[in-house]
Amino acid sequence: MTGALKYEFMRIRTIRSSYWMSGMAVLFSASITTILAIFVQSANVDETDVSQVTTWILTSGASLPITPVLAAPFYAVMGCMAMGHEYRYGTNKATLTAIPDRVAVLTAKAVVLLAWVLTTVVLTLLLNLAITWLFMDNPTFSSDAWRPVLNYAGYCSGFALAGYALSAIFRNQVGAIVTVLLWPLVAEPIFYGIAVGIAQASNRGIGKLTNLLPASAGRRSMFDPYDLSVGYGTDVSVWGIGTSAFVFWFGVLLVIAAGCTAFIKRDA
Amino acid sequence: MALIQARQLSKTFSGKAAVQGLSFDVVPGSVTGFLGPNGAGKSTTMRLMLGLDNGDGVTTYDGVAYRDLKEPLRHVGSVLDAKPFHPTRKAVDHLRMLAVSNDIPMTRVTDVINLVGLGDVAKARPRTFSLGMGQRLGLATALLGDPGTLILDEPANGLDPQGVHWLRNMLKMLASQGRSIFVSSHLLSEMALMADHLVVIGRGSLIASGAMADFISTSNRNAVVVRVDDAELMTRELRVRNATVVAEPDGALAITGMDSDGVGGLAHELRIRVFELSNRQATLEEAFLDATGASEEFRASMGFGPGSGPAFGGPMAGQQGYGPPPGQQGYGPPPGQQGYGPPPGQQGYGPPPGQQGYGPPPGQQGYGPPPGQQGYGPPPGQQGYGAAPGQGGPPPHEDHDDPSNDRAPNGGDR
Repeated sequence: MTGALKYEFMRIRTIRSSYWMSGMAVLFSASITTILAIFVQSANVDETDVSQVTTWILTSGASLPITPVLAAPFYAVMGCMAMGHEYRYGTNKATLTAIPDRVAVLTAKAVVLLAWVLTTVVLTLLLNLAITWLFMDNPTFSSDAWRPVLNYAGYCSGFALAGYALSAIFRNQVGAIVTVLLWPLVAEPIFYGIAVGIAQASNRGIGKLTNLLPASAGRRSMFDPYDLSVGYGTDVSVWGIGTSAFVFWFGVLLVIAAGCTAFIKRDA
Repeated sequence: MALIQARQLSKTFSGKAAVQGLSFDVVPGSVTGFLGPNGAGKSTTMRLMLGLDNGDGVTTYDGVAYRDLKEPLRHVGSVLDAKPFHPTRKAVDHLRMLAVSNDIPMTRVTDVINLVGLGDVAKARPRTFSLGMGQRLGLATALLGDPGTLILDEPANGLDPQGVHWLRNMLKMLASQGRSIFVSSHLLSEMALMADHLVVIGRGSLIASGAMADFISTSNRNAVVVRVDDAELMTRELRVRNATVVAEPDGALAITGMDSDGVGGLAHELRIRVFELSNRQATLEEAFLDATGASEEFRASMGFGPGSGPAFGGPMAGQQGYGPPPGQQGYGPPPGQQGYGPPPGQQGYGPPPGQQGYGPPPGQQGYGPPPGQQGYGPPPGQQGYGAAPGQGGPPPHEDHDDPSNDRAPNGGDR
């Protein structure tokens, strides 16, 4: 296992795309944070809303439904590359002849990917914190701010792991990238629209199914509790933050289980 | 310095057996060539040996399966693909990455990259590498752990002649140090120079395994060649003595079933003048084609016209070939009957009596040049593009045993 971890750490450090993807994630997060901070600086923020706004800026807008989490796709692509490169360039045979234990290979990839993404997320948050202090006169952190911050790190990590597992399932990097990007951007909104439409027309109960959409649940897990139902309307009863985080991770773990099974059972 | 023992290796793809019940040994201190036609299952076998594919059977290296080897790169080095590396990861980083996984010292990375001649491009990104350079980096990967066993799939692909020469010498040198080298290649001439032992497979099954000299000696293309002044008498007398005689196109007789001493003695006994008497040794290629002719997965046609048919060898295993069904007459004339030409007293080629042949109708101009004009031939008195008089053209027909040669030019029997 130690050998596998060393191998994977060397692997991720010696390709330029790791730095490109991480750099882009940090850059986009910092850009969003700066734009939000400048916007807040020029706005007349109510005293009672300062803590909420501070969390909003700190998480690059993730704690409010109106702002997209632009860093997540970059982490997802990094995850796709962690396994996709093995198939795209045929390095899986070299990897598995060096480390025949496939469980060790899978574990090492997941651990190193997770460590890399979390390190980048922490750097991003520290940079966001500096930007917050720079632009806000009196930033206030509420006692609940840890939750969106933690789930932001979880959301980014989950997307990276989902990309990694999808590459193992498809054995195709491009297919995995397309799937991991289009699922939250296209597939879930379509399903959501259909479910809400049915809920409004006839059956209110079917609207609850939208809570089971994993990417949407992950996005919701980062919201301030105050904003949890924003955009969902009255036809859908929205599950809480903890339950949403559980749904997101259940979906991610399901994909990981499928990917790991495929990697272990299939020929190299 | 491991003894490789492959036992009952089997693998099926979608119900079709790619490798079935394959067992062989690769002994230390030798280069063992792995031969087989395209699609025979060579690469699949190598992947099974390295635990990359899920199949049946077991391969052990000094009694230990690959996936149970601790730090496997120190025991077995392998190259299965021509360019198995990320195009933008530096060559040296590719080797370092593999080295750290098996606790191989970093000094070894420099050693092997210099050994394969890539020292000058160690920090280059392999996307700029040629196929040959990629093969060299692959070999560096295989040699990284200084293993006692090497498994190489087509390592000479893409190498220039110097590279092939270098590879051959290096593998022989490594074998002389007591290592086990198992290498597949389609370059049979190269394999003939390199390998001591052979494992030959066809359609996933073992055809032969053992020393190369033994394999070549089994070829039916080994023969005694004799050229005499009375081939007919010699042939008859040889057949009386149960030797097999094949008339060669150049008039020589290729004899199997009797050694050169016997053939020379017989000629002397019959008072036949001998112009040539020699032993013809089959090449590895001929022996390989003999052995695998029925095992080709994919075969090409040689072309059309007389002599067309399978490119090499006979029909696929278990299938009927192009000859007549066993026990039935082929396209030639029945034994003892007249061959070439119309039966005595009958009309041969040409129009039936009283009918118009292929010439122009009477009174009309044919395909020749108009009267008084020069045609397409060379100017009068000059040599054209054809062969010089007496040269070129097909050799005179020989009386081959092949019944297809008795077939009439128009396709019918005579």
